[in-house]
Amino acid sequence: MKPSDRPDSTVAEIIACHECDTLNRVPELAPGKKAQCSCCGFVLSHNPRGGLDRPISLYLSALILLVLANIFPFLTLEIQGREEMTTIIGASLALYNAGMGELAVVVMITSILAPALLIISSLYVLLSVRYRLGFPAARSTLSWISQLKPWGMLDVFMLGVLVAFVKLGNMATMHIGISLYAFCGLILVSAAAASAFEPHLLWDKLGFPKGRRDAG
Amino acid sequence: MRAREAGLTSCHTCGLLVRLPASGHCYCPRCDSDLHMRKPNSLNKTWALLIAAMAMYLPANLFPVMTVTSLGSSQSDTIMSGVIYLLLHGDWPLALIVFVASVLVPLLKMIALVYLLLSVQRRSPLRKQQRIRLYRLVELVGRWSMVDIFVVALLAALVNVGALATIEPGTGAIAFTAVVILTIFSAMSFDSRLIWDNQGEPNGGTA
Repeated sequence: MKPSDRPDSTVAEIIACHECDTLNRVPELAPGKKAQCSCCGFVLSHNPRGGLDRPISLYLSALILLVLANIFPFLTLEIQGREEMTTIIGASLALYNAGMGELAVVVMITSILAPALLIISSLYVLLSVRYRLGFPAARSTLSWISQLKPWGMLDVFMLGVLVAFVKLGNMATMHIGISLYAFCGLILVSAAAASAFEPHLLWDKLGFPKGRRDAG
Repeated sequence: MRAREAGLTSCHTCGLLVRLPASGHCYCPRCDSDLHMRKPNSLNKTWALLIAAMAMYLPANLFPVMTVTSLGSSQSDTIMSGVIYLLLHGDWPLALIVFVASVLVPLLKMIALVYLLLSVQRRSPLRKQQRIRLYRLVELVGRWSMVDIFVVALLAALVNVGALATIEPGTGAIAFTAVVILTIFSAMSFDSRLIWDNQGEPNGGTA
């Protein structure tokens, strides 16, 4: 590791708490440390260990797992010799076929689109900053990530799988597909990636658009 | 010292601390987001979305979320009867999780939002720390209510083509999804900084 590759510690600055508006002087953070609001305890910023390399590698693995989770059978159901197979996308397609287009869209967004976009756009910004590639629209992509976050519901979907498993367990035999294993991995890896990802750090490195300076 | 007293606001998107002009509105110099001292019309928006969610709550619980047709006979399940089924045929820990996620959470979430809104409007100086914790809890657990919708989708996907049984999603599922999504949006439009704001200024909702 070259000295320049080492994760930088963040710069000391004043941050207004997002949740209670208290002004906090946040000291330089060593890797692995976080700063909390003096008034309400909200995490103002953290400096995850591993700098940008860790979230990049985690999001790359998440991307691979996402692809695996979506191309193989997810669950197979066996009722008296008859086999029914579904994929993740099959869940929303079934709703669409039953005439519930609105619901199909919601399930599609929360189980596939939002998680996929989250992974891809995070990688886009991370790679752009880490390797100074200067990808276009990195700033707007980074803004979009925080909007997208609440709509990725992989973990909730997994609980749904568990419940469906129990409900059908009495009338049929269920087989777990390769996808389901990939999906479990995906949940773990994307949780780890999300906690290694600190937008604050990226904003600092992205800095101001050309020709503009600090207005605060 | 709070940012508002210093005439500063933090950008909601990138966290940059910015001095607001007299008009009370500008764009973030770093990420171009809209900047306001507080989310505009936060209380009105939160109320509107919350009331819409409440209106959907009854149909969500009264109409069936799915209908199972098996060998000519059909049976409809509401959210609650699904939980009871799990309790009787599955195991109780799972039934408990589903009960909490799909019955308790939406209800408590709406009650919590009403409490937060009223306490801000009455400019209550009490229990700010507890209220912010309540707000965080509301934001954290809301999404888990979606579990029932995923169950219906998965069951429909797995069972449908088989001749032995078909599972069809019902109107209750749409109403229930509406409750979940509307309460998520409602919680998002609530500006938690208002909890600290309300001392001695009229109508803490607009700024």
